[in-house]
Amino acid sequence: MLNNRGQLSEVMSWIVATLAIIAILLVFIFASGILAQKTKVLKIKSVDVDLPDSAEELDVIEVKNTIAYGKASPEQKKIMDDYFGGKNEEP
Amino acid sequence: MSINIKNKKGADKVLSVYWIMILIITAGGIFGMVYSFYHHPYDVRNVEAEILTNKIADCLSYEGEINSKVFSEGNFNQNFENEFLNECNLNLETSLDSAGEIKEFYVETNFYDSGNLESSVFSFKEGNAGLIAGCDIQEDKEFEKEVKCVEEEFFSFDPGVSEGNEKLYLIKIMSVVRKTDKNVK
Repeated sequence: MLNNRGQLSEVMSWIVATLAIIAILLVFIFASGILAQKTKVLKIKSVDVDLPDSAEELDVIEVKNTIAYGKASPEQKKIMDDYFGGKNEEP
Repeated sequence: MSINIKNKKGADKVLSVYWIMILIITAGGIFGMVYSFYHHPYDVRNVEAEILTNKIADCLSYEGEINSKVFSEGNFNQNFENEFLNECNLNLETSLDSAGEIKEFYVETNFYDSGNLESSVFSFKEGNAGLIAGCDIQEDKEFEKEVKCVEEEFFSFDPGVSEGNEKLYLIKIMSVVRKTDKNVK
């Protein structure tokens, strides 16, 4: 046996491969932590109203404004329109 | 000089130790990924504040008319603030501070006459009033996790006035939820 260089290079390959595996795992751990922070709870529409042809989810506050708009006099409708910028529609 | 290789069991045994080490590292990595992902709590305070606002809105107004208990003898019932939580079936005392006061929630309701939408004619509040300051600084990234605030507004009529001459009010409901311990890491 002249020297040990062949055995040394073989061991170095294994060491580099191990370090690469550890580095990739650390990247994935870091990425999963970032993904967890980005998770958001979606807005909930809390009213289900059965309409004749389809079921539609409406916002509680929108429903109340719509009902009030339907009961309002023309002057009161104008007040509501001016306040909300013309977003209301009659039921 | 020739080397007489009898078998390769020695090399295999060394490799077995290495593969077990790799398995342990990989398993540890998977554990780390799962832990770091599920360790972050979901922040549901926005939804909680919306639900609280909707519940108060349902209590104060039904089918376009304000709850008759808000009024007393033609005027606003000044005692409604004391009855508000019972009337609306709300319990904000999920956690109390050392003085026994509500600390995680704040709700504020204001009534505005349709003739003057700038100035509130009646209001009532419940909870930790100190939380409302957090609503103004929510836009700042440093303080966005402090509290979650939701404000909704809608119109409703005074049921006591004679038919055809109902008085229209704008109702603004502000709900604030703190609960940083359970929603923010």
